[in-house]
Amino acid sequence: MKNVVFVSASPKINEKSVSTHFLQMAGSELDETEFNKTFVDVRKSISSHSVSEAFETLAKADAIIISFPLYVFCLPGILTRFLQDYYNYHTKSGIATNHLKVYAIVNCGFPEPEINLEAVRVIKSFSQHINATFQFGILIGGGPMMFAAKDAPFMKKAVQKLKGAFSSLATDLKDNNVAELDSIKIGFDFPFARRLYFFMGNRGWISMARKNGLQKKDLYKQPYRLKE
Amino acid sequence: MKALLISDREYLTKTYHALNDLTSSFLQHKGFDTEILELEAENLTFCKGCFGCWIKKPGECVINDQMTQVNRNYMNSDLVIYLSPIIFGQFSSNIKNSIDRRIPNILPFFETRPDGSTVHPPRYENYPQQIIIGYGDMVSAEDQQLFMDVTKKHRTNIEVLIYQASADYILEALAKIELGRVGGMI
Repeated sequence: MKNVVFVSASPKINEKSVSTHFLQMAGSELDETEFNKTFVDVRKSISSHSVSEAFETLAKADAIIISFPLYVFCLPGILTRFLQDYYNYHTKSGIATNHLKVYAIVNCGFPEPEINLEAVRVIKSFSQHINATFQFGILIGGGPMMFAAKDAPFMKKAVQKLKGAFSSLATDLKDNNVAELDSIKIGFDFPFARRLYFFMGNRGWISMARKNGLQKKDLYKQPYRLKE
Repeated sequence: MKALLISDREYLTKTYHALNDLTSSFLQHKGFDTEILELEAENLTFCKGCFGCWIKKPGECVINDQMTQVNRNYMNSDLVIYLSPIIFGQFSSNIKNSIDRRIPNILPFFETRPDGSTVHPPRYENYPQQIIIGYGDMVSAEDQQLFMDVTKKHRTNIEVLIYQASADYILEALAKIELGRVGGMI
């Protein structure tokens, strides 16, 4: 039975994690009679000081699937810390990872999925540093919206494509072939959807600020404005 | 003119010290009043994605640690230089945490750039010139290219250099950059 470790690297505290949701969708494609599935939450591992246990779990994996939100066009700092420390652990312990497969699921708030490409390349570089094989990435544009409005008619095609991507991931996990494949891009970056996305997103920020007792103009505050 | 030199205390290697000496001398020669900040994990936590800096306390991070001072000093500098270790083709975690937690300095809204890509608009009229210098020993050509792409591909008004023990290259590159505040899209 293959050990598959699902790594969720959302730094959020008290909210439903979009990254974890995508990871659960991917996990549901894997049959429990063929795969031993373990979930690692990076944030919980760090806050509960159980990172070494998470590293031991990773060291026994046949495949690792890392799901995270894009932060400033790349990995969030919390995941960078986790991978940086895992690399040091891996180097010191001399773990053999010749047949380890690594996958990335990256979602961003912007509608265009290709913005996630550099983050996927970082996961590939990490894989090379631990002598594992990077298989492919799933790049998701408008991740939070795809999660929140998954049942809306305008989201139908994107959700179908998402399920297809996770099905491809499951097929590749079953396959013993170890070689990098093309990444899969999923977004809804066509003109109407983009305008709707911007409208809903921008209105959402104002609405959330109002719930905190702020007015629209407060969102534009410049606390560090230079005295010129 | 004020400069802020930000580095990572976890990676104070021989290469770093050479680069730091080189950059500090350059700034001194150019007449900058330079503040040096060495980031460390104990005083700098990660961005928690709460968006409090946009919808609770606009323009300021709601986490009270070293970043409060970093963000204020960042916005009040004319030039900010990051000396970042290259880890898997991107920044080290301490440097990345400081970059993630700089989002209070931009607005939450979505806008479209002239090239059609999405961007968060600037909060301020102008910003310090940003230069990121990546360093490391035995960094592969692939990771060097990735570091350039991670830094420059989706941003404007930013310069990126790679230091691999060539002082002349860094000094020549720095000499070509216009050092002062910049406006426009980030």
